[in-house]
Amino acid sequence: MKKIIFILTLGICGAVMAQTNGQLNLPLTLRTNAPAPKAPAKPKPPTEINSDTADFDLNIHQAIYRGHVLVADPQVRMTCAWMLVDLPTGGVHLSHVVASTNVVVDFVDQKGQTNHVTAAKAVYDYKVVGAVTNETVTFSGNPIVDMPTITIYSEPLVWDRGENKYHFTEPRMISKDNGTNGPAQKLF
Amino acid sequence: MKFKAAIFYPAIGAAFFLFASVNDRAQQLPVGHATDFTSNQYFEPPNGQQVKMRLSGAEALPLPGGSLDVRQLRVETFSLDGKAEVIVRAPQCNYSPFDGMANSAGHMELQTGDGKVHVEGDGFLWRQTSSSLTISNHVRTLIDMPGATMLGS
Repeated sequence: MKKIIFILTLGICGAVMAQTNGQLNLPLTLRTNAPAPKAPAKPKPPTEINSDTADFDLNIHQAIYRGHVLVADPQVRMTCAWMLVDLPTGGVHLSHVVASTNVVVDFVDQKGQTNHVTAAKAVYDYKVVGAVTNETVTFSGNPIVDMPTITIYSEPLVWDRGENKYHFTEPRMISKDNGTNGPAQKLF
Repeated sequence: MKFKAAIFYPAIGAAFFLFASVNDRAQQLPVGHATDFTSNQYFEPPNGQQVKMRLSGAEALPLPGGSLDVRQLRVETFSLDGKAEVIVRAPQCNYSPFDGMANSAGHMELQTGDGKVHVEGDGFLWRQTSSSLTISNHVRTLIDMPGATMLGS
């Protein structure tokens, strides 16, 4: 009986080696002091846009979405009534997006805080000039950022995506801790 | 944008085509039942040999008024270097060769040649002369490149 088990074990090992072109692939967990290798990053799922209707101009590679526009990916959810997207022919990075009418954006920032942004209009621009990448979102039309501890009003409100900072113009801030208006201060 | 040549290639089955000229456009219009046909639209000179748009279908049935009931529509647009830019597919549509319009109340799909953008919806109008597409209902787009959510790149 032991002989049969031994032969079977040899056979399985042989099969494993044969399937890996001679490289032994065993399901072993080795413990070392070396840092564990990073798992390969999962590819980001595509962004989904839903709308009632849409127009596509294939000559200028532009899409216009109308009615109950919902843009969602794992990090961000945005709704609006109208949205224009310039689709680059190279397919590398979107360069220009305009969202209009009741724009609402919800996302979690790098500090883990929820951000709820509302505005009449939002314009996203992405440009690479030399080694400098400019990536901004400009909210206009009574933009408001609502975070867990503070609400900020600014016209316009610019989010520099490269620096990951908001830029306010004559902001009005309402702290939720004591409910009073605070002076303009640098938040980020 | 003008048609310099639009050629139908009936591959299988009985196909009867008459040739008609509308203004300075050379078009070939099927007046009978056609299967597995293809129509090419070319770039303006000096790139007149390059296909700009290809419209094909598995079956075309004539309708009153000169339109066609096309099954398994496929529209492809190409860049000057021959790369596929956009592919539009629909199980069924009505195609009017005279004004270059296709429409349907049914489902349709669009995909860019590089696969980065996929669109589907119900009900559409395709304007061949302006290369524009309107989708009427339940539009769903998947974009596989950064920037689409503005904040999510």
